[in-house]
Amino acid sequence: MIPVEKDLNFVANFTNMTNNPNQLTTWEMFQQSYQIAETLKIESFHSLVSMNFLPHMNFLPHQVKCAERVIQDMSGRALLADEVGLGKTIEAGLILKEYLIRGVVKKVLILAPASLVNQWAMELNQKFYIPAVTAGKRVDWAHSNIIIATMDLAKREPHRSAILGQVYDMVIIDEAHKLKNHQTKNYQFVQALQKKYFLLLTATPVQNKLTDIFNLISLLKPGYLGTYENFNKKHRADPYLKQLIQQVMIRNRREETGVNWTDRHVSTIWVDFTDQELQTYERIEESCRDIQVVSSITYKREFCSSREACYLSLKKWIETKEELNNQTTLLHHLLRDIEQLPHHAKALKLIELIKNHTDEKFIVFTEYRATQIYLQWLLQQEGIRAVIFRGGFKKGKRDWMRQLFHDHAQVMIATEAAGEGINLQFCHNLVNYDLPWNPMRLEQRIGRIHRYGQENDVKIYNLAIRHTMEEHVMELLYNKIHLFENVIGQLDQILAKLEMDNLESEISQIFNESRTFGETKIKLDNLVSVISSAAEVEVGESI
Amino acid sequence: MKIENLHQFLYQFFQSTGCQLSEPAENELLIQLTKDLDIALMNRPFYWHYMDKIGQQGNPMSLHLYTGESQNDPGKEWIHYGSPRLHQIFQYIQSHAKVTVLYEKLNSQEKTALYPWLVVNLKVEYIGKQKKEEIHSFGLQLINGTMISNMMTLLQDTDLGEIVSDYTYTITPLISPSSGFQRIFRYLEDGLAKMDQSWVTQAKKALDEELSLLEHFFSDKESDEELYQNEIMRLKERLEPKINMHIINAGLFYLSDQVMNKILH
Repeated sequence: MIPVEKDLNFVANFTNMTNNPNQLTTWEMFQQSYQIAETLKIESFHSLVSMNFLPHMNFLPHQVKCAERVIQDMSGRALLADEVGLGKTIEAGLILKEYLIRGVVKKVLILAPASLVNQWAMELNQKFYIPAVTAGKRVDWAHSNIIIATMDLAKREPHRSAILGQVYDMVIIDEAHKLKNHQTKNYQFVQALQKKYFLLLTATPVQNKLTDIFNLISLLKPGYLGTYENFNKKHRADPYLKQLIQQVMIRNRREETGVNWTDRHVSTIWVDFTDQELQTYERIEESCRDIQVVSSITYKREFCSSREACYLSLKKWIETKEELNNQTTLLHHLLRDIEQLPHHAKALKLIELIKNHTDEKFIVFTEYRATQIYLQWLLQQEGIRAVIFRGGFKKGKRDWMRQLFHDHAQVMIATEAAGEGINLQFCHNLVNYDLPWNPMRLEQRIGRIHRYGQENDVKIYNLAIRHTMEEHVMELLYNKIHLFENVIGQLDQILAKLEMDNLESEISQIFNESRTFGETKIKLDNLVSVISSAAEVEVGESI
Repeated sequence: MKIENLHQFLYQFFQSTGCQLSEPAENELLIQLTKDLDIALMNRPFYWHYMDKIGQQGNPMSLHLYTGESQNDPGKEWIHYGSPRLHQIFQYIQSHAKVTVLYEKLNSQEKTALYPWLVVNLKVEYIGKQKKEEIHSFGLQLINGTMISNMMTLLQDTDLGEIVSDYTYTITPLISPSSGFQRIFRYLEDGLAKMDQSWVTQAKKALDEELSLLEHFFSDKESDEELYQNEIMRLKERLEPKINMHIINAGLFYLSDQVMNKILH
């Protein structure tokens, strides 16, 4: 028999209260109290009250389901790990709204990257009617109900102590993959926050290794996985781990959402170095080999991006190594060679591409700041309006740049740090000016434009220079495992399964340790076939 | 009987609590609070304590509410579902409108008998893996034991007041209110037996699953026993199926036969 608890206290006091005129209420208020109860009623085991109060919102089915699961099955502590662009912010907003309406949440802390703080505030206020404010310099933590701040601000004194002194009904952390290391200050800070409901948001719960997820789960379910060291020994291949993950993580994949997504068209644009450029490229390799202390990988990668990126980093290196007197002449020659190059073949190709589509916007991603500045200058010379975007920009500047791009500029040149943060659905052309070696970062880039709200098919252009290491990475890594199309969604699981610690360092190592082109090719081929065969197993299966 | 128009709802609330109010523009309410409401809503206990100490009246504050869609004017307070202010008001109403005694207002020259009804509004919470709520409104005549449901909806247009109208007189209950409450509880419990029980089985199954998972992760010697016990308790609290019968409010209503006949037919 199910225990039934009856409100007997009320019954016991009733007669006394009816005899005391001070305790009696009016007909209007008696009715109003009943109306409140009707309004806030949870209609069925599966429904959310908040849906009745947000008639203007068109939620996607997976978003509503996610909010229901978090509230009904997970008691409000969850890892929201949808693929990029499926609306994790919307899901978190809906969950928050539901708790606010049910009256169980009042005090809320939201930590988001600087580039997303304003967007959170905008979405919560406009879409959910949630009066959230952003934390300024003179923020009053004790008296603010719903506040959005950056991690950098929150973890700095005096804010840190003030925040840790608060008891939050709910804490939401966006881009939570940054908490993957339990030894960092950020992690310990988040761990120490006093919180009842707790949401972690990330598109890439496992960035490089399975232990990343250990740390996230340990935040949500303290104690379950024991210590980090034990986890490594014990739970790696544990079937129960999967069950535990299911209890705290919701991960929607694009193809499962039942929504018609626009297509991705990927094309690779091959660029040929001029003879002079190719000579310089080879010279970098030779010089580095002669000196025998530095690996040429970094400089070659940079040279494939721009003269400036390579020049600056070489120069910096030389300056720190004064003892290399006899060899510096060699390097100074190299610098002079670079200086004398008139252009960069890839940059010219980019101009050509953009000039062929004068009525469309482009976002161009590069890994290097020097390249970014060079491209901006070059585009300006060609009369193409461009804005730049970097992770380090202050909040106001980011918003302004986005607006400039939206209203006035044709091109936005962004560095890696901007890969997460802004949403640019109004643009549907993306140029990977140089390719990151970690495919998860690539997905973050594409997610800026290929997300819910994008109306056009998304075009992704990859620029790669023939006969350089870019060709290897392009041909072997990206083309073979079709990372651009579909597999990326599963790549996190695949890497976890393979216990591949860090893809980027694996690749660096291959380039570093291979003596010849053939060797590099064989090793990369091996890497690719290992990943691909794991991918075949993985398709159809899901966490 | 959900709230359909929040603006109207608030207008009615502030009016019935004796506040001066005006509507300076569409979707706006300007309210001069009473002392009671200032104490309840404005969160300044020290001010009122101080005023009492020095024997002063004190000045209740005013509120400028905006009831439309999203806005950012710092001079006005945007009130909407989910805003803390609205919940404060809801809580105020819920805690102040627990019990009432009301009489039908009649404009009659003839002597009319008013019969006692116990009106009880309840919220039944089914708490298992998930939560569901039902709201019931019963009227129980305290002379002959007639019980009807949907009482609040039936009464919604009836004119009721806190004092007995002229030429009307009340009949003393034969059934005591507390046995009235018992009848209502019994009626609800009888209904439970006929209800679909699958939610109970589901909750128990979920609890078993979670407990065995918990046991697995906490089985080695190094794990924290206290944390383990706490987790077990937390799981049981959350997943063990139970039913709560919570009384929203209740009152003695004195109603004429004429009005009851009209309502019921």
